[in-house]
Amino acid sequence: MAEYALRMSNIVKTYGGVPVLKEVDFAVRPGEVHALVGENGAGKTTLMNILGGVVQMDSGEVEVLGEPLSHLSPGIMQEKGVAFIHQELNVVNDLTVYENLFLGRELRARIGTVDVKAMCREAEQVFSRMQVDVDPKALVGSLETSTKQIVEIARSLLLNAKIIIMDEPTTSLSQNEIDQVFRLMTNLARRHGVSIIFISHKLGEVVQFCDHYTVLRNGEKVAEGPLRPEDGAQVDQADIARMMVGQDVLSVEVYVPRELGETVLEASGIQINNHVRDVSFFLRKGEVLGITGLLGDGKEHLVRGLFGDLPIDEGSIILNGRPCQPRHPAQGKGAGLGFLPSNRKENAIIKDLSIQSNITIVSLEDCCTTGHVLSGKREHGMADRARQDFSIKFTDFDNAVTSLSGGNQQKVVLSKWLSMSPSVLLLSNPTQGVDVGAKNEIYAQIMKLAEQGVGIVITSGEAKEIIKICDRALVMYHGSVRGELDRDELTEENIMILSTGGELGKNDRSTAVCNPHS
Amino acid sequence: MQSTQLSAKRMTLKKFLDQYSIMLITVLMIVIATILQGTTFLSLSNFINIIRNNSVVGIIAFGMSLVIISGNIDLSVGAQMVLVASLTLDVVNRSGSALLGVITAFAFSCTLSLITGLIVTKGRVPSFIVTLGLQYIYRSILIYTLNGGGITTQNKSYALISSYNLFGWLPLQIVYFFVMAAIFFFISKYTVLGRHIYAVGSNEKATRLSGIKTDRIKIYAFLLLGAAIAVAAVAESSRMGSINSTSSGTGYELNAIAMSVIGGVAMEGGKGKLTNTMFGAFIFGLINNILTLVGVNTRLVNAFKGAIIIIAVLLQRKSRER
Repeated sequence: MAEYALRMSNIVKTYGGVPVLKEVDFAVRPGEVHALVGENGAGKTTLMNILGGVVQMDSGEVEVLGEPLSHLSPGIMQEKGVAFIHQELNVVNDLTVYENLFLGRELRARIGTVDVKAMCREAEQVFSRMQVDVDPKALVGSLETSTKQIVEIARSLLLNAKIIIMDEPTTSLSQNEIDQVFRLMTNLARRHGVSIIFISHKLGEVVQFCDHYTVLRNGEKVAEGPLRPEDGAQVDQADIARMMVGQDVLSVEVYVPRELGETVLEASGIQINNHVRDVSFFLRKGEVLGITGLLGDGKEHLVRGLFGDLPIDEGSIILNGRPCQPRHPAQGKGAGLGFLPSNRKENAIIKDLSIQSNITIVSLEDCCTTGHVLSGKREHGMADRARQDFSIKFTDFDNAVTSLSGGNQQKVVLSKWLSMSPSVLLLSNPTQGVDVGAKNEIYAQIMKLAEQGVGIVITSGEAKEIIKICDRALVMYHGSVRGELDRDELTEENIMILSTGGELGKNDRSTAVCNPHS
Repeated sequence: MQSTQLSAKRMTLKKFLDQYSIMLITVLMIVIATILQGTTFLSLSNFINIIRNNSVVGIIAFGMSLVIISGNIDLSVGAQMVLVASLTLDVVNRSGSALLGVITAFAFSCTLSLITGLIVTKGRVPSFIVTLGLQYIYRSILIYTLNGGGITTQNKSYALISSYNLFGWLPLQIVYFFVMAAIFFFISKYTVLGRHIYAVGSNEKATRLSGIKTDRIKIYAFLLLGAAIAVAAVAESSRMGSINSTSSGTGYELNAIAMSVIGGVAMEGGKGKLTNTMFGAFIFGLINNILTLVGVNTRLVNAFKGAIIIIAVLLQRKSRER
């Protein structure tokens, strides 16, 4: 057996004169779980698309299982045992598991009808090889996301995949599901010699589960090495993060202590369906208030209600000293609220509009010289201010917004609110799907806005994020506020206790209350 | 900054083809027709004929494009146009005033479109269904009121609205077509409403969460279509001097959709250019004209139209995927 399952050497790729990959080397051993990390735009996806045969390289060599390949195409790569599992799952929800597994190459019985029995038998065999328990006749739509992913992996194994590429497989999974998928991946690698290339932003998982890492930065390979202590690993999570961005990011301090102004927003007794129960809070000028809690504990509904996207059943909101009860986002905006929804692709990006139009959409009326007729100059000016303030990187304002990296897209949908000078910004998961470097830029932006006196509400499920930038945080549990933490009380531990329904003592030994032995 | 501007000016051949393919196809068709027919085809009167024959549906197509871009569709435009036209003729006949007729056309047509828009947005019924239903309702009411017959007018000034020749050779009906093209292009490209129409059609949720009243935008799109239908109703009824309850305006909705689609308006909304809808109307007219000039049996014309629709969309798909 060849020493390397995959060897890519001196890969060069340019797009319209811009180099995306500069003589990149990348090698994976048989039976290895290999993490390919890098910021958005570092070239990971391009490299993998070359391997998958989707994108043609300008120059370079690719060897699969010791065999040099002169021409790459999706068909050839599939034949050679390279499988690509994309971030967006590629399964048909309305079909059963076995139908998905054999989609397009159904097994036939002698008379030409589909052979359900044979397909189910083979499906069961592959699942037992993977040591998972999935019913081949279950409807895929009824499965958990992680199980759908397992179905995709099973499909690639049925195609005799020797190398499986997984692009950000864990973004939509819960912690339990992540563990399950990783156990499966490790098992496949160890027992069956399958090589797995794992593309991810989540460095915690990378360090915990992978055998080897390769870091790309700006189209160049900057580092690679083992991750297992028994292989002589010498890096930790912070090291890899540093290599990705070229500077020490995890320890970058973004919080700026500052004077907080008078109350700008006051909500009392907010009730939204069963999701939000009797929530009251206030927000001062220039304050960053975090709202955290576990998934589904009402923080999303709360901010959507405040902005007017969901009807509030009971309670009152006072904004800038005036009662405000928005029943439509347009009214929320009119009252001086800005809102960054979570789930950018679905709720924030207007895919057919240009970068510029996505920025100016919020305050188009201000781009007019007469009536409702747009002035190209004013519109460009507004967009350009946003670009400078947020250092959004792109080549042309008229390009499609979807051509931007995730981090830059997020900056676009955040920066669009600045043109209306909001008094309060509601940010829902502001760094969702954004890489480490861009995350810090967004944090710094949020701090800058706070310093300018904008009141900011941030919802996030990531305790680290809340601790990093918030002056104060509310922890929600089952729709109501379980506790409020000031900056000096903000610890991962305290947040975890409150968000799982525990209580904090008022003294320093806060954990003692929950400790059954005390 | 400078590099941004420079790269903006760099226009590759691919981009050029993407952007102007419809115009190129139009020019190509004219060239083919000229080679086949020579001067008969290139004469001014032939061009005026082509445009006039398609101007009524073309005017509707401009409104239709906006509605499709906003994420909806209107299948009732043909029936609505005939209903509006017959009321207009009735008012002209009773009052003897062409002006009053025109005012009636706009008021009535916009009211009908407002109703369409309200049912679609407030009732949350897909526009395909709503307008399919309205199409039956309009046509049936019309046939019932006119007893299956038609309505005519002898009003001279009303007839002139369409057929008066500017400078002695340019029928006003053609002027309306180009004026409407200009107005709708301007709205789509240079106004807040136009931009919002694209935004709603592209991602309604994100547009709403940008603080925009999306229902209102969709209703405005229908109202603009209503105005276009009013113009079409006046143009058609003034040229013909009559409206028939069963035969007038049949198939106009599908022809208007076809012109939009040939022009590159995407059925899923958010994409399309009004200038290209105009070229879509030209292409539609050219097919007819060329086939007639070449001597193809007129019964086969629709087969060619159908093929052109499919080919046009195929080409656009390909160029988008590249």
